[in-house]
Amino acid sequence: MLQLKNISKSFPGVKALEDISMQFNAGEVHALCGENGAGKSTLMNIIAGNIKADAGNLLWNNKEVIIEDVATAQELGISIVYQERSLADALTVAENIFPVNQPLNRFGLIDYTQLYLQTQQLLDELQLTNLSPKTKVDKLSPAQKQLVEIAKALAQNPSLLILDEPTASITNQETETLFSIIKQLKQKGVAIIYITHRMAEIKAIADIVSVLKDGCYQGSFVAASTPTEEIVTKMVGRELLEAQYESHRQEHIALEIKNLSGKGFNNISFTLSKGEILGIAGLQGSGRTALALAIFGDNNITAGKLFKGSNNIHLHHPADAVASGIAYIPDERKTQGLFMERSVAENIIATKLNKGFYSHKDTIIISAILKNKLAIRTPSVKQVVQKLSGGNQQKVVLAKWLYTNPDVLIINEPTHGVDVGAKADIYTELKKMTAAGKSILLISSELPELLLLSDRIAVMYNGEMQSILQHSEATEEIITSLASGIKTTLN
Amino acid sequence: MQISKYFQERVASLSAAILLLCIVMTIIFPTQFATAENFSQVLLNLSIDTIVAVGMMVLMIAGMFDLSVGSIVAFSGGLAGYLMYYHDVNFILAIAAGISGSVIIGYINGVLIAKAGINPMIQTLAMMGIVRGFALMLSGAGIQNFPYEFIYIGQSKLFGLQAPVWYMIIVVLLFSFLASRTKFFRRYYFIGGNERAARLSGIRVDKMKIWAFVISALLAGIAGILLSSRLGAALSTSGRGMELRVITAVILGGASLSGGYGKITGAFLGALFMALINNMLIIGRVSGYWQEIILGFILIVAVGLDQWLLRRTEK
Repeated sequence: MLQLKNISKSFPGVKALEDISMQFNAGEVHALCGENGAGKSTLMNIIAGNIKADAGNLLWNNKEVIIEDVATAQELGISIVYQERSLADALTVAENIFPVNQPLNRFGLIDYTQLYLQTQQLLDELQLTNLSPKTKVDKLSPAQKQLVEIAKALAQNPSLLILDEPTASITNQETETLFSIIKQLKQKGVAIIYITHRMAEIKAIADIVSVLKDGCYQGSFVAASTPTEEIVTKMVGRELLEAQYESHRQEHIALEIKNLSGKGFNNISFTLSKGEILGIAGLQGSGRTALALAIFGDNNITAGKLFKGSNNIHLHHPADAVASGIAYIPDERKTQGLFMERSVAENIIATKLNKGFYSHKDTIIISAILKNKLAIRTPSVKQVVQKLSGGNQQKVVLAKWLYTNPDVLIINEPTHGVDVGAKADIYTELKKMTAAGKSILLISSELPELLLLSDRIAVMYNGEMQSILQHSEATEEIITSLASGIKTTLN
Repeated sequence: MQISKYFQERVASLSAAILLLCIVMTIIFPTQFATAENFSQVLLNLSIDTIVAVGMMVLMIAGMFDLSVGSIVAFSGGLAGYLMYYHDVNFILAIAAGISGSVIIGYINGVLIAKAGINPMIQTLAMMGIVRGFALMLSGAGIQNFPYEFIYIGQSKLFGLQAPVWYMIIVVLLFSFLASRTKFFRRYYFIGGNERAARLSGIRVDKMKIWAFVISALLAGIAGILLSSRLGAALSTSGRGMELRVITAVILGGASLSGGYGKITGAFLGALFMALINNMLIIGRVSGYWQEIILGFILIVAVGLDQWLLRRTEK
């Protein structure tokens, strides 16, 4: 149905896609996988008409087409369900599902009776019986919103449907609903591109699986007969991390959390020793980030106590946390960690604006030192952060907090969308910090990362801390079953 | 490439435009334009707007703006005038009252925007009406006959330049020093660039926002005193339409509505550019109606050019 020929695309500083040729067939579920930053989303955005390829052709039913914009893609029958939400919260489910092609009455005005009727039909067809067409979208749960997104894409009767990590925020039961919808569509002859990280889903739903790595096509395989290990190896490539686990944990306690509760987490207690890396595992929405933000003074604490060493500290604002020697590196570096339009140097000194005079010269000197320390690849510290690659941007966020010399660093998804080289640099820096007696709270969805770096791993589920595993007893299976609530204790 | 990069720095491109305008005017109207009196008059005309524009620039760097400044100008002059005329209050106390009243208005704006989360546009639009009402109540049909000392503040001269020009120079120099060299004012660039990241970097964003509105209102209050002193009268219509004129100057001077950009000198240059255009039209005997039309076009061209250059360098 859709054929890609030699597609290439570059962004300033990165080659996002290089010479990609692939084919998607009618009635086939084609899984696309690869690490963060492998180019999956870029490729899908090209197909959906959001961005243009620098080179290469697209063939639609064997005819060459140029997809100018989203409208052209939709006319061809291409629909996409994005990872990010594209719903208008203040409007109803029905209005969101039909943003352009609303049914009209004879005066050319929107026919709401018909609109609700059509929406109800569509929802019934998709077995989404717990959704009402008249509900406002801001009243829905994240999972329900995801399903509305899918309904919105299907309302256009697509012949090619792209799903970008559709199960990231939905429950197991809803995943099954989604899979049965996919199977129905497949029988109708719709081509489906399914982007995912989860190997189990590929086995469950895909016919073909293709792998991208660093913008290059690594091959396509029959999903049922290819071992998972082989796919993973293709995804990660040869450069598997060689770092070794080593502990710098000391006896002294750096941070103690006692029965802490707040919005999204409940009754959490743990200690963090000097020189320790405590990993925190859990699914999205398990309360990991809410807890981290509370320890950083950004979220309200409703009950419980926080001790830094032996001092009971009260945090009402991130500035209080910074003053107490706590640093936080957020998971969303673009929206929460960086000032994208400002220079590397200015980003680095953003944490040291508490008082006194500002010197441009000192800013340049200090940031140049940190740039060299972390091997940030940029022609100059005056470069705008936007132009840096994901890995180097992440290093800038790390640099800005190293500058405050914190005792406790909370780091959330440190290597999301970070290339292998930068990843290794970041790990090395974290290890250096613990060797110097600093403590790290490492929140990550990447289990190999947690297992490699952590002295202990705490697993969160539904706002509660399930269990804290020692380095020696933690395995991917145990963490996964604790994090998904299948098991509640280690034994 | 090099040239377009240079012109992305608005202070540079605007200076060039101002220089060009001056050269052209000198050639066409040598006897009318290039005289000391004319320049002194142009500077006097823009001085009060510029003082207000400096505060607006601080706000716009932080990604906000204040529509109530024009009303605050009338209120500040009105309150001082009212106290001096009806209650024989000493002129220094009257000025202090006018400026403190303005600062309180700015504080209320800031608290409601930063803490209660009201949108700056809505909050300051409402405050614009409220404060204009108070100004009307205070000065009614206008207050005159101020003590000599009060008049002296705005009508004296030093080295051939009127007093308001000197106040403007002091405000511009002081604030451009503060904005480029103190960490306090640098924070506004970060807040305007990414508010969430600023908070998570340990910047007390709410407090800084309140301060920005206080600073803006303080400068508008000072401008109000200067204006009524210069006119020798407190009028309830003073500063009407000033908010949009000042925002225009600040945007011409390189600020962006979404925040993060701008320099204090840009506010001065924007106001200077607008004053020169006005001066050009007056000397050229162009009908007054054309002034606003032409300024409107210039604003669109300036901002459009910016976007065009930006897109060209991104590609």
